[in-house]
Amino acid sequence: MKTIAAAAAAAALFVAALPARGFAQVPYDRIVKAESEPASWLTYGGSYKSQRYTSLDQINRQNVGQLRAAWVYQIRAAGVLETSPIVVDGVMYITEPPSTVTALDARTGRPLWSWSPKIPDDVIVIGSPPVNRGVAVLDNMVYAGSIAGHLTALDAKSGAVRWDVVVDDNHLGYYLTLAPLAIDGKIIVGVSGAEAGIRGFVDAYDAKTGKRVWRRHTVAAPGEPGGDTWGGKDSWKTGGGSTWLTGSYDPELKTLYWTTGNPGPDWNGDNRPGDNLYTCSLLALNPDDGSIKWHFQFTPHDTHDWDAVQTVVLFEAAVGGRPRKLVAQANRNGFYYVLDRTNGEFIAGAPFVKQTWADGLDAKGRPKVKPGLEPSEQGVTVFPSISGASNWYSPSYSPKTNLFYQVAREWSTIFYKGEAVYKPGFGFTAGGGRTQNGDDAWAAVRAFEATTGKLKWEFKLLSPGFSSLLSTAGSLVFGGTDEGNFFALDAESGKPLWDTQLGANIRGIPVSFAIEGKQYVAIGAGFALFVYALP
Amino acid sequence: MQLSIPRLLPGVIVAALTVWSTHADAQGGAAAPDIAAGKQLFNGMCVECHGADGAGGDAPSLNRAKLRHAPDDMALVSILTNGIPNTGMPRIRRFTDNEMRQLVAYIRSLGRVAEAKVPGDTVKGAAIYKNLGCASCHIVDGTGGNLGPDLSDIGIMRGTAYLRQAVVDPGATLPKGTLQVPARGYAEYLPLRIVTRQGGEVRGIRVNEDAFTIQVRDQAGKFYSFRRSDLELLEKQTGRSLMPAFANRLSAGDLTDLVAYLASLKGE
Repeated sequence: MKTIAAAAAAAALFVAALPARGFAQVPYDRIVKAESEPASWLTYGGSYKSQRYTSLDQINRQNVGQLRAAWVYQIRAAGVLETSPIVVDGVMYITEPPSTVTALDARTGRPLWSWSPKIPDDVIVIGSPPVNRGVAVLDNMVYAGSIAGHLTALDAKSGAVRWDVVVDDNHLGYYLTLAPLAIDGKIIVGVSGAEAGIRGFVDAYDAKTGKRVWRRHTVAAPGEPGGDTWGGKDSWKTGGGSTWLTGSYDPELKTLYWTTGNPGPDWNGDNRPGDNLYTCSLLALNPDDGSIKWHFQFTPHDTHDWDAVQTVVLFEAAVGGRPRKLVAQANRNGFYYVLDRTNGEFIAGAPFVKQTWADGLDAKGRPKVKPGLEPSEQGVTVFPSISGASNWYSPSYSPKTNLFYQVAREWSTIFYKGEAVYKPGFGFTAGGGRTQNGDDAWAAVRAFEATTGKLKWEFKLLSPGFSSLLSTAGSLVFGGTDEGNFFALDAESGKPLWDTQLGANIRGIPVSFAIEGKQYVAIGAGFALFVYALP
Repeated sequence: MQLSIPRLLPGVIVAALTVWSTHADAQGGAAAPDIAAGKQLFNGMCVECHGADGAGGDAPSLNRAKLRHAPDDMALVSILTNGIPNTGMPRIRRFTDNEMRQLVAYIRSLGRVAEAKVPGDTVKGAAIYKNLGCASCHIVDGTGGNLGPDLSDIGIMRGTAYLRQAVVDPGATLPKGTLQVPARGYAEYLPLRIVTRQGGEVRGIRVNEDAFTIQVRDQAGKFYSFRRSDLELLEKQTGRSLMPAFANRLSAGDLTDLVAYLASLKGE
């Protein structure tokens, strides 16, 4: 008897000593403190601040040259892989195009489960390829949007559906490509679809039940604040203002920072005179009810498709000798902006690429727009291009270097204005453009002083792709190119330290995590997810 | 708009074609205002490659009764909506139904005008092609050298103005890439001068490149692969070509005959 008890005790001890992985609970408090547990990667941007920075430093400037592939996961169906993996205690959750969610053993890449929503044959995806940029996790659930316009909660252990809601009607062009953001008891999502003439919004859903808690429209209706910025007949009804990228969050200030896209129709603003609030803006939202605390509009009355949805990064720094809580964005319109995130005050702004449309920004950060550069029937050449100086791909901020890292794209477009005819579920863009490509266009990884946008260094890339960046405490910046190079630069100097060829354009968003003390870096390229580590 | 690489779901294509079919009665009887409006759209989005009045340029001429990829209006709409894979023809999804109808009406109207006969004597042109030694670098119907582009169907792929310019000043008309290699929009056959840190020098054409490496083929056909960090000099000789310029080596009549021969090469 005594022997059996001793053996049982020994067995229990043995089991406890095994490195159990995965499926742990992710309570809200854990996400708030995500920066303190870099072995996991708990939100789209790595933490609520969206800095896409890891404090892991095992891979560093001295040894990065020894990186080698740990594993590769091939996705199931051809498509554009733009996922930013989530990693929780050794389990990785990715999305595959168009809207599949897959859980992988983060040490080996072996699938644990996979779930695909039903996508109707007549699904309407206007404005982007049918992609998905990742999931959110909270408690014991995984949350994902779909191009069919749904938001679904899956059981983290099995992939079984816990609840599924229609965010909005895909027949009208609403669809989801973004990773949701999980906060205290709520799941926050936005929508794509401005190119189909939707009226954009940010939604909050009860994390446990899927019941919608609030909706904040991003196009002001008549009578609402900002409603008078929509001239023309009923222009607000089809005003666009998509919210198609994941926002950031400040739990102390209890403020959501969510960005908005272009007004509709894109390239013909004739029937929407005015600033078109709150398109091309940053909204500071109260997470309890979705009310707007403050807003900042980057591009009033946009006619060049310069969505402002690019990731907004939260950081703290001294400005004029005073510590400030800041929010920064390298905007698609070619300017880098720094705001006080407590009140939206404009602190600094400067172009980070060649731009020809504005004579700088005024004291409040509003662009001094040059006349005559709106799209026309004959075509008008403007820098930056229709696809922008930046786009959905993530920047990175390192609290170690206080630098903001961004792939900056140098190119122009000849913009055309077309006729604006709204038909539900069809394109409502009214124009288009011909964009420089090949040897005439280029890009660079640029490092700015985060508080000013002043250039510290740059590393030239060949073509303007969609390269997200990851900075690390090992003083590295990881990124990819459209030509398939996965690379690491010195975060302080921009000097290239390591690169390898992944064989297809890199649209995946890099993250880092650790298992049993070993650091990994993951990035999607072509139809596969690649994970690298030291030998 | 998120504008990434072109990709459409079948459902969207079906939707676009269904819409078009409701307007298909416009076929053959396009009104003059539609054609005029279509010309404006064409001059905005299409003229750079397809040439004024669809006479061809970088891209095939369209002033022909029969278009290879577009036997009927539905096929033409499909091409305009979805592009043609592995060619320079992009998808153009910005048009409304009305604009699409106008553009199709204009393109079809080009084919109803009698195709201008290319002046010159193709038989004489073939002899000039042979005498100049063009075949040392170009393939026609499987025969010839491989340093320059295959010309077997160049008469379909390029307009006569482009062909004439390419003979007179080839550096001004380097073809823009339409495939994965080097990549869409990049100049093909771009001359390079490369000096390595060890002092070795290579002159040749760019085959491909990325942010860290470059691949080169020299005049003897030999391939090289370099890491940029190993190079002392990487000179892209934009505006030049390895092909000699024939501006002063051909009489006006011979040039016309040579262009007529090239224009007759249709891969048939």
